[in-house]
Amino acid sequence: MSALKSADDFPKDGEALNQSKTGLLKMAFLFVGVAALLLFAILAMTGGGEDGEVSRRSMMAYSWLFAVMFFLTLAVGGIFWTLVHNATNSGWGVLVRRLMENLGSVTPWILLLGLPLVLSSDFKNALWEWIPEQAALVEGGEKYAEAHLESEKAKRAKELQTAKTDFKTLEKVTASAITKAGKNKGEVSFLNERLSHSKTKLAELEEGQLDDKALTSELQVHFMRHGDGEHVHGNPLLYHKSGYLNISSWTLRYILYVLGLGGVIYTLRKWSVAQDKSGDPKYTLMMRRWSCGFIAIFGICWTFLVVDWLMVLDYTWFSTMWGVYLFAGSAVSSMALLVAILTYLRSTGHFKDTITMEHYHLMGKLMHSFVIFWAYIAFSQYFLIWYANITEETKFYLLRNTDFFNSYTVILLVIGHFFIPFAALLVRQVKKTPKLMVAIAAWLLLMQIADIYWIIIPERGVSLTGGAQMIIPGAIWFDLLAFIAVGGIFGFLLLRSFGKSSLYPSQDPRLEESLNVVN
Amino acid sequence: MKEKTNSKPAYGYIAEFENATAIYHAAEKVRDAGFKRWDVHSPYPIHGMDAAMGLKKSWLSALVLAGGATGGLTALFLQFFTQVNLYPTVVQGKPTDFSTLPAFFPVIFELTILLSAFAVLGGLLVILLLPRLNHPLLASKTFLKFSDDGFIMSIEARDPKFSRERTKELLESLGATNVELVEDEV
Repeated sequence: MSALKSADDFPKDGEALNQSKTGLLKMAFLFVGVAALLLFAILAMTGGGEDGEVSRRSMMAYSWLFAVMFFLTLAVGGIFWTLVHNATNSGWGVLVRRLMENLGSVTPWILLLGLPLVLSSDFKNALWEWIPEQAALVEGGEKYAEAHLESEKAKRAKELQTAKTDFKTLEKVTASAITKAGKNKGEVSFLNERLSHSKTKLAELEEGQLDDKALTSELQVHFMRHGDGEHVHGNPLLYHKSGYLNISSWTLRYILYVLGLGGVIYTLRKWSVAQDKSGDPKYTLMMRRWSCGFIAIFGICWTFLVVDWLMVLDYTWFSTMWGVYLFAGSAVSSMALLVAILTYLRSTGHFKDTITMEHYHLMGKLMHSFVIFWAYIAFSQYFLIWYANITEETKFYLLRNTDFFNSYTVILLVIGHFFIPFAALLVRQVKKTPKLMVAIAAWLLLMQIADIYWIIIPERGVSLTGGAQMIIPGAIWFDLLAFIAVGGIFGFLLLRSFGKSSLYPSQDPRLEESLNVVN
Repeated sequence: MKEKTNSKPAYGYIAEFENATAIYHAAEKVRDAGFKRWDVHSPYPIHGMDAAMGLKKSWLSALVLAGGATGGLTALFLQFFTQVNLYPTVVQGKPTDFSTLPAFFPVIFELTILLSAFAVLGGLLVILLLPRLNHPLLASKTFLKFSDDGFIMSIEARDPKFSRERTKELLESLGATNVELVEDEV
């Protein structure tokens, strides 16, 4: 063992990114990303299409969701690893923690790239059927209520009038019958009961004499649930989900995701960078304490985000493991990206005396464990749905298991996202060899692309063509274009964030622990 | 009357060192001197000691891999052979062929873990020659300090390099504060 490294031997202000070596790549990312983005925007704007055919714009909505979602999983993983590193009071990864923070800090930007999905009604309507269907139901409900308001009101008033007359008659009849019944207790109680029953009914009818506003909303609900009874069917499922699935709260939630996820990583990164200057250990304690609470915000935001954007691609389908499933893939692929970034930075002359193979080993172990975690969650979700065999649940896998391309992606995921990396990462020496680690990391990123693609794209054919086609030929080029656009901007933002501060928290009290980590 | 002897054969030397650094560097020297049957005992794990002692990777992991593979394949064979080949069992109208595999995964998983755990336990007992009732080193009061504040190195007399005089000299030259000859049990 060589002598222990001392934090005093390293510069107090840490290590800055070598702009001359990485600047070119950064600008290349920006140029390619913006060019692809412009091309994508032009194609989407001009791709309105005619009635009755699948428009280019609606195909491109799926491409955009796929690209944004893939890079979002990577960025959000950065937040997760930062939170876990702080909350578990870890010392090993102080040297790589800034990489996690920088990766996480891209999240709000990627979420903003998702803005077209929230703003463009063509995008929304193409992706999420519940939005146009609900809008049609609401609109139809308003018309239905308007058309039926007066007649319903008159009907109810008439009913009440009839009931009142009937009740008066019944009162008289009952009074005379009670006198006649005399001491027959059974008879008397029966008559009284009949009278009170009529009274209750009368009260109900009186309650039903609503003002225009209340009656309108009652008619609207009736329309949503049951339709107009002639041509239009109601949608009770969508009605029951409308407390959560309605466009205003859906949009509000998007804003909360941006604020929640962005706020968490912004705060943590700000404290971490502030410590670089002052060296005050209070920041370490603040990050540790607050991260425990931030984990809850992170978990809630991420779970609901993937429900709002991915699970409701088919609003009739549901899985309670959905959030965890996407989170597992996000954690493993972002760790893979961190390994790749670390190796890239080392290859451009950074982290010379600081990062050792022990860090690779530790990151490899985390990658390995989350490969297993992903497989565990993915299999559990599949297994429960497969076993229970309930139509609403199995439809997700049925769609994604039909057609050549989809079904082979499943096999690829089982073998490629689990068995290959699992076996490869078992060997200790592999985890200590950067070249092999980067190869595995690249493979895992590829698998994450396949996973997200397999979640989103099979919906496109069936949704847009009404089930006539599984795959829309040629649409894959839009997916590629969107991927390049978001990927270029993602790469630019990431490299830009590295240039903003030291590459590692240079004044963290546990820097020495991380420099000398052995496992 | 014959002269009675109560001297038992020597088990080896134990040497006490002052702290982790001292015993760490001593271990490097003993390793370089070519000793094979020796050990270091400390109250807590010392990082890098395995390299300082020249220990090779334990073959326990290979044993565990074999155990896990046996478990997994056994479970796969047992279920597939009985439920698909021997007596095709139809559950919920699901097919009895290769696509029945998901149903077998929980058992495959469990048996893999079970046999891996058995391999760990069994392998460890075999490698460490456990269980045993006593150990010659436990007779020494100095040795018992290893579970409190002592850093103890033991060199067995079985080691081909062992010599009563020279080994003692070596240990003392390495900075041992206390060198003691421990008797064997028999």
